[in-house]
Amino acid sequence: MLEGAELYFNVDHGYLEGLVRGCKASLLTQQDYINLVQCETLEDLKIHLQTTDYGNFLANQTNPLTVSKIDTEMRKRLCGEFEYFRNHSLEPLSTFLTYMTCSYMIDNVILLMNGALQKKSVKEILGKCHPLGRFTEMEAVNIAETPSDLFNAILVETPLAPFFQDCMSENALDELNIELLRNKLYKSYLETFYKFCKNHGDVTAEVMCPILEFEADRRAFIITLNSFGTELSKEDRETLYPTFGKLYPEGLRLLAQAEDFDQMKSIVDHYVVYKPLFEAVGGSGGKTLEDVFYEREVQMNVLAFNRQFHYGVFYAYVKLKEQEMRNIVWIAECISQRHRTKINSYIPIL
Amino acid sequence: MGSMFRSEEVALVQLFLPTAAAYTCVSQLGELGLVEFRDLNASVSAFQRRFVVDVRRCEELEKTFTFLQEEVRRAGLVLPRPEGRLPAPPPRDLLRIQEETERLAQELRDVRGNQQSLRVQLHQLQLHAAVLGQGHGPQLATAHTYGASERTPLLQAPGGPHQDLRVNFVAGAVEPHKAPALERLLWRACRGFLIASFSELERPLEHPVTGEPATWMTFLISYWGEQIGQKIRKITDCFHCHVFPFLEQEEARRAALQQLQQQSQEMQEVLGETERFLSQVLGRVQQLLPPAQVQVRKMKAVYLALNQCSVSTTHKCLIAEAWCATRDLPALQEALRDSSAEEGVSAVAHRIPSRDMPPTLIRTNRFTASFQGIVDSYGVGRYQEVNPAPYTIITFPFLFAVMFGDVGHGLLMFLFALAMVLAENRPAVKAAQNEIWQTFFGGRYLLLLMGLFSVYTGFIYNECFSRASSIFPSGWSVAAMANQSGWSDAFLAQHTMLTLDPNVTGVFLGPYPFGIDPIWSLAANHLSFLNSFKMKMSVILGVVHMAFGVVLGVFNHMHFGQRHRLLLETLPELTFLLGLFGYLVFLVIYKWLHVSAASAASAPSILIHFINMFLFSHSPTNRPLYPQQEVVQAMLVVLALAMVPVLLLGTPLHLLCRHRRRRRRPTGRKEDKAGLLGLPDASVNGWGSDEEKAGGLEDEQEAELVPSEVFMHQAIHTIEFCLGCISNTASYLRLWALSLAHAQLSEVLWAMVMRIGLGLGREVGVAAVVLVPIFAAFAVMTVAILLVMEGLSAFLHALRLHWVEFQNKFYSGTGYKLSPFTFAATDD
Repeated sequence: MLEGAELYFNVDHGYLEGLVRGCKASLLTQQDYINLVQCETLEDLKIHLQTTDYGNFLANQTNPLTVSKIDTEMRKRLCGEFEYFRNHSLEPLSTFLTYMTCSYMIDNVILLMNGALQKKSVKEILGKCHPLGRFTEMEAVNIAETPSDLFNAILVETPLAPFFQDCMSENALDELNIELLRNKLYKSYLETFYKFCKNHGDVTAEVMCPILEFEADRRAFIITLNSFGTELSKEDRETLYPTFGKLYPEGLRLLAQAEDFDQMKSIVDHYVVYKPLFEAVGGSGGKTLEDVFYEREVQMNVLAFNRQFHYGVFYAYVKLKEQEMRNIVWIAECISQRHRTKINSYIPIL
Repeated sequence: MGSMFRSEEVALVQLFLPTAAAYTCVSQLGELGLVEFRDLNASVSAFQRRFVVDVRRCEELEKTFTFLQEEVRRAGLVLPRPEGRLPAPPPRDLLRIQEETERLAQELRDVRGNQQSLRVQLHQLQLHAAVLGQGHGPQLATAHTYGASERTPLLQAPGGPHQDLRVNFVAGAVEPHKAPALERLLWRACRGFLIASFSELERPLEHPVTGEPATWMTFLISYWGEQIGQKIRKITDCFHCHVFPFLEQEEARRAALQQLQQQSQEMQEVLGETERFLSQVLGRVQQLLPPAQVQVRKMKAVYLALNQCSVSTTHKCLIAEAWCATRDLPALQEALRDSSAEEGVSAVAHRIPSRDMPPTLIRTNRFTASFQGIVDSYGVGRYQEVNPAPYTIITFPFLFAVMFGDVGHGLLMFLFALAMVLAENRPAVKAAQNEIWQTFFGGRYLLLLMGLFSVYTGFIYNECFSRASSIFPSGWSVAAMANQSGWSDAFLAQHTMLTLDPNVTGVFLGPYPFGIDPIWSLAANHLSFLNSFKMKMSVILGVVHMAFGVVLGVFNHMHFGQRHRLLLETLPELTFLLGLFGYLVFLVIYKWLHVSAASAASAPSILIHFINMFLFSHSPTNRPLYPQQEVVQAMLVVLALAMVPVLLLGTPLHLLCRHRRRRRRPTGRKEDKAGLLGLPDASVNGWGSDEEKAGGLEDEQEAELVPSEVFMHQAIHTIEFCLGCISNTASYLRLWALSLAHAQLSEVLWAMVMRIGLGLGREVGVAAVVLVPIFAAFAVMTVAILLVMEGLSAFLHALRLHWVEFQNKFYSGTGYKLSPFTFAATDD
């Protein structure tokens, strides 16, 4: 790509960028959260959400209101916005947006396969699937018995197809293999997405690469953490790490050898970026590693809006909205379960 | 009209509403639209307020209403507009309304559900029939044998492949856009162990939910083996296909088809019956819904208003605070008395003093509304500040007309506005939704006056579609000139330009009675004559307009009790403005009156004189206008410049002095000030300036006086005024520029279009035919360019002259409008 996005960016993508910035301005503010936290019932929550940009999105819900209804409606809204962006986008932004949906598609496929394994009905699981990752052939996932089956019959036409190259095997799909499959898919997906952003160059690369690097490192950490005490061998573990990011390559090699959390922590000490994150874990308020990562992610996504003429804003907006939805669901759960002590541990969006 | 000059007196009243009568009182106030409630619970969030339960009930009801409305709309019916006066229902009626609408909604839901399921069934039957009747049979047979023979050598050893392989069928229908994906997935998943044939339905079926016609793809899959069958079924499930049993024998299929058709006929009858019942229910909804909707909306509004009240300590009454025009206080009292008497209690309203600035209320009628709108779009006036709107009624159309002076154009505009004014009561005109039309219609009286004034200035400029008219005989005589100077025929033939000399006796008989002499339109120096005239006129109008603005400030100072500002601000400002630019106006007029045509050759130049005045010099070639001119001019300049420090330091020093004096004896006055608090008038005059507040608040306000801020404020004001005087005077020259542009444009249009057309053919027939399109072009361009475009630009410039040049002399426009609590909007 040519450098100097400011010269031609707005011709194709100016409208959408304006739109997404407007959407970002409608994210809930700190004051909104303070008010939400004070709610006594879900009805109160609904009334308060009506005063924000969510508007009357719950108006047609029959009583009683439940957390899952709120969640579904919020997802629907986000999905509607995203569809709008997508339908009005031009290349290469539309490819970028497709890449964004891929992660949800992977999650959905894995969710359905797990469901099929546990003999749950497809309908039930479909409700849990993220609407952003929906595709027509999705429901047929359960007819596949091996990964290559899955690829050949179902996924070959979807955007997920290229990520499957590394994971073709004739192993039966049991729980462990599905998990491995998910991580391999993810690794491949992240690498491809990263390459796409890098090749695109310009501001998009400058904004998106750090975000994706962080995402890759986060996956590496989480894979390591989750593999402690399982039968996953260290070599296999290393193959699951995405091969880019701040940790690549030395950090990943060290991580592959780590055997418990303390070892992991000592590895992290070499990385200025992640050291404070790990130090914050378990500190005041009993934050988990997940929370800390989320906070960091929010921070990076908010910073993405400081630059103009790049695609990162779309990614950042969707991620921020997701975080906001997680926050609202958290608050709603706390309210409905009368578990108010932890209600404040949502992750504020700055 | 009396109330136009400044905004009405508005008082803060406290309403004690007994709990039993609070609802009726507020609903009565909503009908009248007298008061603006203040939110006394601003710190309480929406869901913690007192009447939130009632509001929520209203919202629940509204949700039901939306459902009913949506159903009515879907049935293609319209809701009638509610008729008559519908007061907010008493709270106990809410239950009745709720019950009725719930019952109706439930009934509707049931019937709708019935109809829906019937339609789905019918749809299924129709689809099934369509799949069976699609005629896959013969194709299948060929495909079957063809497929089998193709596969035979590949699959098995030769010798009776059909023996143990039974061919099974899956038949069904799928939405067309999914068909290709389904076909591909089937092929990929089952690897040729099946044959699928797809075909499109010829006749679109009605979609059971939306009722829109939708086509379907029917398919017939034949396959071998049970495992494949399961896979196929899973795949068809995931594509949400309708799958139907498919009998193998042709006869059996035909029988099934007949049965299906019979069933669907029966089903259609039942459906018709259901739909009749549905339309009955909808008819009831149409009757019930509109009044109920209005009532509940009013009820919700009442509860929202009640939510802004606070509860008294004894819980016996609600306390509301509201702004109300003093003139409406008796009406308010009466309304409260009437509506609370029914409950046997009495609601009371009494005035309380207030620290906050009351809202601005200026009552308008349909004539003044558009002028007030011009002022308000700059800024709503501070409470009780001088309102520029009444003066705008005349000055705005006049300044517009100065830029738009043309009898013809003005007349067209006047007639257009007149038509709107005459038709204003017609419902069709009022109901028009077009935004541009609404803008014009809203400003019809403004347009009327603008047109009228344009006709007037058009007569002064003596222009009608850029042509001069000679109503009176011209003051110049060419004959006299010709006789006196003895022009011969040869001389006339040689010279196309001749000069009329007013100094020759008999040539200039006297000024034209009204406006510009028509002979000027023939003159070559027409433009330079008009330029000089219009430029001077612009400056005179500008200085008068600005001086008027400064004088209006006097009324503000008097009203707010700031007499020091009269002496320390208005007087220096006026001196500065009139001493410099007023003097310029004087020079212009003096020269008009004093210098005659005889002394034109040695006439002094005002421009040079004015420049010299500031430089304290004189040029020997420029004759003085009157004796002692230089002394007078020097004095004026010194006087004007001396006013600058007065303006800069006067008010701040005065305030500081007074502040010091007050602080020296702070306690003594507090008591008599406190006495004022009880008086209702305390809030009335409290609206001075930023520096000064009357009544009991004064002491606190004075204590906050920050010298640096006051000085800064005044310095800005001074600089703005002094520089403004110069730039604003120059700014009024736009009057000249715009009127020149308008005259030239219409001149060009006449010369380039109409005159060419008129000069085309000498024969009557040709000219008549040619003139039709030419006149059409002339008319369209006159309206589009001269009336609309030029009119808009003149309008904008007039607007600017009012907002910037006129209003900044006295108008702060920092108030806010009184927006009373009223049902009027909900009634519509």
